[in-house]
Amino acid sequence: MKPGALTIEDLWPCLQGMIPAALSTCSKDGVPNVTYVSQIYYVDGGHVALSHQFFNKTHRNVREHPYACAMMLDPRTLQAYRLQLRFDHSETAGPLFESMSLQLQAIASHSGMTNVFRLLAADVYAVMGLERIEGFTSLPTPPLSELPSRLFVAEDLERLRLISERLNCCDTLGELLETALQLLDERLGFRHTIILLTDESNATLTAIASRGYPENGAGSEIGFGDGLIGMVARSQRALHLSAIDHSLRYARAVRDRAQASGNTAAVCREIPLPGLSGTSCQVGVPLVTRGRLIGVLVVESLEPLAFMPREDSLLTIIAAQLATGIEQLSRDMDDAAPAAPVRSEPVPSSGASPRTRHFCFFHADDCVFVDGEYLIRNVPGRILWRLLTQHRDQGRTEFTNRELRMDPWLGLPEVKDNLESRLILLRKRLEQKCPDIRLIPRGRGRFALETEGAITLSEKAG
Amino acid sequence: MIPSAIIDLLQTGVSVIVGTRDAAFMPECTRAWGIRLGKDRRSVTIFLTEAVSGKTLQNLRENGLVAVSCTRPTDHVACQIKGRVRTIRPSDRQDQTHRRNWKREFIGEIAAIGVPAALGEAWITEPALAVEIDVTDVFHQTPGPGTGEKVSS
Repeated sequence: MKPGALTIEDLWPCLQGMIPAALSTCSKDGVPNVTYVSQIYYVDGGHVALSHQFFNKTHRNVREHPYACAMMLDPRTLQAYRLQLRFDHSETAGPLFESMSLQLQAIASHSGMTNVFRLLAADVYAVMGLERIEGFTSLPTPPLSELPSRLFVAEDLERLRLISERLNCCDTLGELLETALQLLDERLGFRHTIILLTDESNATLTAIASRGYPENGAGSEIGFGDGLIGMVARSQRALHLSAIDHSLRYARAVRDRAQASGNTAAVCREIPLPGLSGTSCQVGVPLVTRGRLIGVLVVESLEPLAFMPREDSLLTIIAAQLATGIEQLSRDMDDAAPAAPVRSEPVPSSGASPRTRHFCFFHADDCVFVDGEYLIRNVPGRILWRLLTQHRDQGRTEFTNRELRMDPWLGLPEVKDNLESRLILLRKRLEQKCPDIRLIPRGRGRFALETEGAITLSEKAG
Repeated sequence: MIPSAIIDLLQTGVSVIVGTRDAAFMPECTRAWGIRLGKDRRSVTIFLTEAVSGKTLQNLRENGLVAVSCTRPTDHVACQIKGRVRTIRPSDRQDQTHRRNWKREFIGEIAAIGVPAALGEAWITEPALAVEIDVTDVFHQTPGPGTGEKVSS
């Protein structure tokens, strides 16, 4: 395309279906055909689509000889434009088809023609040439700079729309969290992300999902006010640190050294927050719904200038929807309505030969160790202990959210107990530390404890 | 012989679009400034300007094959005429009078569907060439079932 040459986007007024376009084709034996088409649809910078509603001559011609010529009028001036087209393919499903079909159905239902006007296919044509026809009208063409192009949605808006639609389809909290991080990565290029959820009872945030790190970090805790994440939680405002200060890396290095040197007294019962060792740029966005802090979304990058105001805006929009979704799905799952058991996908075996796992519960801080290593504590620790002891004593493998909520020993608050997020956390810690023991969802408000080898349990005061 | 139902249509302010093709079968389309029924009722004359329809005129001079679609904007009643060019000549005074009448009627049609008349008035329809066409076939082209069928005499 020559610099300054006309683009299909420049013709946005012609693509609104306000004035039918002319379309000519030619049969394989050279007979020309010309007809009106009610609308030429924009597909992308190189393609347009025509609706195929009836098996007509145009439809037959382009399948024999794929060339077409269209003439469109700008409804503001009746200036004409000519397009050279080549039939590319036909779509009978997917977003383009759905959107064209819906539009047609709406028109058809208005005119009582629902059975007659039905989209059979969206025929997609490559745009081979595009010209403004000089000498057509004496009216001047409005300059391109004055055209407010509301037809062509900015790419970011399109991505946000897709993310919003996908998040809206999530049925469970776990699915919502994983989908959000996957879309942030694949659609917006946020490769390293963490979601932390609030525990209001002890003013901490707990990492529940992460993406782009070797360790998932599920269960790591941060106090309100601590570091960027804690500050975001306390202020409930997005915070952006570019070119992160050396001291932040220094602090992280100190902790790494402490762990490496075996000085584990301070860190042994803490799960390190996932982080990039050379991180240059971080954004923390509060997950707030109706004024209540649900958690914090964190993104990181090695590139000092990776996050600009654009990224802050995108994250803020997504965080708002995510917060509402997390709150709603946490509440819904906590309902634990009786439901028919649903078979989950078969879980692949961890591959290791069955082994005996030894779990130890420390009453002083509700902390569970597995084979001498810290696993989990607090409410998720108590939940795990309850499941394991009932499994040992009664041979139970199936459990419901409802019975956990009713269990006074677990100490779940009566409202906003975040049980679902605690189960997700527990599931992830098990995946990481002893994958041969699993919590498998069995439909709404139910789950199963699956074990591959033997389990022994012991308890200590502190 | 052009069917009588079509004759009535052609005498209103119809929108006229024209399809041709070149030696390599590449289609071309353009807009004609009016259509007039031949006295023999076997031909029509359409009016094209060189500026807008240069390639169409070239195709017509080379191979003579043409498709003309006529649609009445207010009710979408439409037909497609297929034929072969008989003559191409500068339009005369009589053609000009016909064209002015057609333009007035056509602008009335588009004004009735909400297009400001001033936009139609601004179209450059002169100087026009008169293209006389021997009609070989006429097809229904009103949208819906039955479109594409030949119009019986």
